Amino acid sequence: MGVYQPAYNRRFSTGYSELASQQEISAFLAEVERRAFKQAMYAVRDDEAALDVVQDAMLKLTEKYAEKPAAELPMLFQRILQNTIHDHFRRQKVRTTWTVLLSAFGEKGEKDEDYDPLETLPAKSDSNAAIDPAVALERGQIVGLIEQALARLPARQREAFLLRYWEELDVAETAAAMGCSEGSVKTHCSRAVRALAETLSAKGVKL
Amino acid sequence: MTSRETEIANKIKPYLDQATADLKAGIVYRLQLARADALARLSDPQRIVAPVLAHALAGAGIAGRPSPRFSFRLWLAIAVFAIVAGFGWQPWRTFQDTREFEELDAQILSSDLPIDAYLDRGFQNWLKASFER
Repeated sequence: MGVYQPAYNRRFSTGYSELASQQEISAFLAEVERRAFKQAMYAVRDDEAALDVVQDAMLKLTEKYAEKPAAELPMLFQRILQNTIHDHFRRQKVRTTWTVLLSAFGEKGEKDEDYDPLETLPAKSDSNAAIDPAVALERGQIVGLIEQALARLPARQREAFLLRYWEELDVAETAAAMGCSEGSVKTHCSRAVRALAETLSAKGVKL
Repeated sequence: MTSRETEIANKIKPYLDQATADLKAGIVYRLQLARADALARLSDPQRIVAPVLAHALAGAGIAGRPSPRFSFRLWLAIAVFAIVAGFGWQPWRTFQDTREFEELDAQILSSDLPIDAYLDRGFQNWLKASFER
């Protein structure tokens, strides 16, 4: 049966059956969870909030869309993730009023109690195991600068850039995930790339 | 989109991939827990029987996933309900009382008995004695 296979799917969906099995959903989530966290992190700029966003998105996917064909999961998940990030900002707007009012009653040592030493350890990664420490350091610094530049982008530009170039969605898929026109996607992407290039160039990073 | 844009984006992409690979162990562990939780919901038969309730409980943190967001929503809903109930109760009582008086007035006015008869103590005693008999 001819099922539409978005370009994004071809990256990791080889072998998925038409209806997603539990193993396929598990494999799919394992594949996207780190990038989803980073996407959320660039948007909300807080580890805990980003984890909540990814967890919510995963739950929504498994609770509401588990019966969908496996080929639709990547696009669905991206839409859910973007909507969950937007929901986060809507809730934050409402909550800020109360937080400001009630912040005077908060305990100062509260944050330290949540400190988890595990979170300071880098995860094992095979990608840079054999890299020269100096090179790794330089790459790490560039990564930091790129992440800072990404965080400074307007939300829609960042969203378009990450979906289009990092998640490798095509223009139509990016537009569908963002809920805007293809023309807007092109404009956002163009501006995002230009802004990133200018910011990184100003910091002395040669791409 | 120009080829220059694509070229720049393609040069940035490996750095983003590296940032993803270098996530802290605690974050990776919690992502794994989140995934396991989501998959557990997938295999939970209760979600088919009562998905709405399950979602509500999950949001409330009752079904194993702590969610401060829902507790805020829950308290907000309770507060709104209390306010609506508080403000709604008094007009409802007033409306009920008014309706009772209206019915009583209508009965009195439509009765053949003169209204002064109800105020006459002798008549009330006679009425009471008649019922007892």
